[in-house]
Amino acid sequence: MIELQGLTKRYGDTRVVDDISLTVEQGEFCVLIGPSGCGKSTTLKMINRLIAHSEGKILVGGEDITTLPPERLRRRIGYAIQSIGLFPHWRVADNIATVPRLLKWPSSRIAERIDELLALFQLDADGLHDKYPHQLSGGQAQRVGVARALAADPDVLLMDEPFGAVDPLTRDALQVELSRVHRQTGKTIVFVTHDMDEALRLASRVALLNGGQLVQYDRPAELLVAPANDFVRDFIGRADLGLKLLSRRRVEEYCRPAQRTRNNATASAPITWQVDADDRPMALLGGRLGESDIARTVVNNEWSATPEMSMKEALSRMVWFRVTALPVLDSEGRLLGEVTMAGVMGHRP
Amino acid sequence: MSVNALARPPSWHRFLLIALSTLLIALVLGMEQLAPLFRALFPDQDPAMYQRESFLNLTLAHLALVLLSSLISVSIGVAAGLFVTRPAGREFEPLVSTLAAIGQTFPPAAVLAIAVPLAGFGFVPTLVALVLYGLLPVVQNTVAGLGTVPSQTLEAARGNGMSAWQILWRIELPLAMRVIIAGVRVSVIINIGTATIGSTVGATTLGTPIIAGLVGNNLPYVIQGAILVGLLAIVTDLAFERLERRFSFGEEGNAQ
Repeated sequence: MIELQGLTKRYGDTRVVDDISLTVEQGEFCVLIGPSGCGKSTTLKMINRLIAHSEGKILVGGEDITTLPPERLRRRIGYAIQSIGLFPHWRVADNIATVPRLLKWPSSRIAERIDELLALFQLDADGLHDKYPHQLSGGQAQRVGVARALAADPDVLLMDEPFGAVDPLTRDALQVELSRVHRQTGKTIVFVTHDMDEALRLASRVALLNGGQLVQYDRPAELLVAPANDFVRDFIGRADLGLKLLSRRRVEEYCRPAQRTRNNATASAPITWQVDADDRPMALLGGRLGESDIARTVVNNEWSATPEMSMKEALSRMVWFRVTALPVLDSEGRLLGEVTMAGVMGHRP
Repeated sequence: MSVNALARPPSWHRFLLIALSTLLIALVLGMEQLAPLFRALFPDQDPAMYQRESFLNLTLAHLALVLLSSLISVSIGVAAGLFVTRPAGREFEPLVSTLAAIGQTFPPAAVLAIAVPLAGFGFVPTLVALVLYGLLPVVQNTVAGLGTVPSQTLEAARGNGMSAWQILWRIELPLAMRVIIAGVRVSVIINIGTATIGSTVGATTLGTPIIAGLVGNNLPYVIQGAILVGLLAIVTDLAFERLERRFSFGEEGNAQ
């Protein structure tokens, strides 16, 4: 657990961080976000004393951080930055072993831990263990950076725009992976980014900063439906607020029972799914805009949704295929239910 | 310290180093065997072979002078470079750079001229001149080498709980080592050449036959000394090049 109490950082007369108080509960994924110069990075770096705070108090696990020598504190808190932060003259394994070695773990335990982390981040193939940072892809280097931060099993993980330097596709994969690792390890994470989509995707709580002050600290959904003021609304992006909200919703929340038929002639409801003997949808009867009652064969799994998919993606598929409904399929391709355009509209966000 | 497999030097380089080292050793030990050759080339010179002292002794004395002066230059130079890149010494950086540059701008002959009345003739004034002369490249490259360590790398080291000493020994020095060694290389090579001038104030070096040859108008003496000094410089340079390569770690960052 991390507590910031009246945290302030002054450089001369400017207060780059101004009286911030917030609590990050155990296991929470807290994202600090805001425009450049809002003090989000400074706030993060004050937690592990890379920057000294001017006023206020920081408690980590109930302990005032100024009571510990900075090196001891930092070895207890994981720290990940952009991939260039890897030590270029050390192999992947040595990089991961950084903190355990500083803590003088026995080498057998270190070796075990390295293997564990390489497996956790799916880096155990390809002999990556002995590679140097410049031999890694951007995504791999980033994973090693996070693995290094987790090496000594700290309760708290600080991440300063760790995915800032990778391409969008890789960033996507890294976000999915970080979410998974967060769920699996239950670490308390404080994560700095300037990318609202990244924040909404990862955070269990978002702290929006502006001019060194905390504007709103809330769950992502609250931030979207109840923004504290116009700044919050503008920062989130007024125009696609609705879509952002849908990106936090999953198809299963909107899924409703579907009408089925075995033969293709009769549609018993405006939207009816023709299914085969295994309950796999073959075609949609009705539901296509502009062309009434034209059966459309379900050719591939692009033309469908899964329960885990975000509603934003489901909506995007409806628009792309010009249909008002998508079949929701289980992993075997069987029909679980349907999501419809009307359902999206009827559901209160 | 691990060696990067990509930074292996070409094989001819190794061959050249071995060949020239062998030639150097052979000449140091067996220059006298070339007496007939020199007599044939310079029939008017008598003697055509420098014999007041063995070439082995001259070479060893020369090496001792260069080794000692380089050791002192490197110790002072690296220490000064480290000092001015620490938070406590940062404000002294311009001063130290200027002092080191002044040491280099003095012609070595002038340094000798100043050192002789203070330290007498022979080994000591030459040593002083060489130390002053070899300081600049070491200081410059130490500062430059430490400057190439990316700030993110340092931040990561600090953020992962390394102390200032641990950062220096485990991160900064290994990463700066290539550039520092390049500075040491320049310094040593300069001193191998400059040490010959020490013979004008009575130091025993490979310059002794050269000076004797110049004074006595004996070209074979000059050639015999110059060949050994030249070879010594080339062999040392090649050896340093190999040493430098051991400390290249590829590009930093996340190149594919």
